[in-house]
Amino acid sequence: MQLDSVRELKAVLAESVLAPLTVENMPKSFALAAGPIRKVNEPVRSIALGIAPRGKNDFRLAVRYQRRELEDSKELETIKRRAKGEADVRYIGRVTKSAAPPWTQQRHRPLRIGTSVGHVNITAGTLGAFVTVRGGDGKPHILSNNHVLADENRGKIGDTVLQPGKYDDGKDPADKVATLSVVVKLKKTGSNAVDCAAALVDDKIEIDAKSIRGLGKLAGIGSEFLDEGTAVAKLGRTTGLTRGKVTAFELDNVVVGYDIGNLRFDGQVEIEGADDDPFSRGGDSGSLIVTEDRRAVALLFAGGEVGGSNGQGLTFASPIRAVLNALKVDLMF
Amino acid sequence: MASTGTTLELARAAKARALDVFAPLAPVVGVGVTRVDGGYGVKVNLESAPPAGTPLPAAVDGVPVKVEVVGRLRKQLPD
Repeated sequence: MQLDSVRELKAVLAESVLAPLTVENMPKSFALAAGPIRKVNEPVRSIALGIAPRGKNDFRLAVRYQRRELEDSKELETIKRRAKGEADVRYIGRVTKSAAPPWTQQRHRPLRIGTSVGHVNITAGTLGAFVTVRGGDGKPHILSNNHVLADENRGKIGDTVLQPGKYDDGKDPADKVATLSVVVKLKKTGSNAVDCAAALVDDKIEIDAKSIRGLGKLAGIGSEFLDEGTAVAKLGRTTGLTRGKVTAFELDNVVVGYDIGNLRFDGQVEIEGADDDPFSRGGDSGSLIVTEDRRAVALLFAGGEVGGSNGQGLTFASPIRAVLNALKVDLMF
Repeated sequence: MASTGTTLELARAAKARALDVFAPLAPVVGVGVTRVDGGYGVKVNLESAPPAGTPLPAAVDGVPVKVEVVGRLRKQLPD
C-alpha cells in the first residue's frame, strides 16, 4: 500500500474500531463506587495501530495486540478485513517502560565523580572530579572537558551545566547544578595541550568529591611520569568503570575531530582497555583517569574505535597536572 | 637495524624526526613514546593504512618505531 493509504486506513480504524475498545472500562455515569482513582481511569490494554514498511514505498498496517483474548476478537477481524490482508499482526503483550538507565547516567545529589554532565547545549559527557580555584574562595567546581562544559568554546561564563546531561534527560532548570566558570580555549591552529573547563557548583548542591564508585576514594595525584604498561582505570558516563593500561605517552600531533574542526594536541597519553573491552566510548569524555592506587593521572577527552591489542580502539587523555595548571585549579580529594 | 634497550631520552628525541619521515607516507595522527624491545621506541599512529607496498621505516635515527593504524579519533560524546 502507499504510505498515504495506510495512514488513512489507520485513522479510520482508530476512530471506528479502537476508540470504543479502549474506553470500555470508562465510567458510564458520574455516580461511582469509591475506589482507587487509577483503576477508574487506567487505559485498557488493547490494540495499537501503526505503519510497517514492507519495501521501498510499500507499507502495511502494523497491528499490535496486547491481550491474548483479542486474538479472535471481532475488532481484530474487522481490522484485518479492512486492510485487505495488508496487515502485519503481532501479539506484543504488556509493554512497560524500559529498565532504569545505568548508574552513571542517572541524576545524583550529592554530585558524584563519573556521572553524566554537560553544558545545556551539548548531549552528555562525564563529570571528572571536583576542583577549587587557586587563590579563590574554596568553593567546589566541576572538572571536565571544554567540549563537555563549554561546548567547544561556544559556552559563555555563567552558562548552565546540567546533571545528568541533556542526552540523559537532564532538564533546565530542574537539573541545573553548576555554571561555567573557567575555560581553556581550544585552539583551531597550532597545538593544544588540554581540553578542559570547570563549572562552579551551585551553592545549594552538595558534592561527594572523593568516591569513585566501584574503586574507592580518590587518593590524590599520581606520578607525573606515566610509563607504558601503567595500569589505570576510569568511571565514565557510557562505559562505566573500565580498566586498562598506558600504551604510549608524550604523544604529539594527536589529531582529534571536533565540531569546530580537526584539532592538534601535544603531550598526550594513550590507553587501551583491558581484556576484550574498550577503555572508553562516546560520552566518557571528561572522565578522570586514575592509577590502581586511585591517584589521578589524566583527563580523558578523545578516542577511536580502531587499534589497540584487543581491537577495541584507543583512548586519549591529557596529563592531570597540565589540566590543573592550565585552569589554575587544585584537585579536591 | 634498531638497537635494543633504547633510552627514553633517545626515543623522545626521535619523535619529531619520525613525524617528518612518516607524514609524507600516511596520515599521522600521533607520535609518542612506547616500549619496544626491552627499551623505549617511537609510536607512530596512522589514521589509515598507507597504500599497499609503501615501505615504512622500522627505525628512525636508530630508534625502533612501532606503527599502528588507529582510525579517526573523535571527542567522546554520544553519537
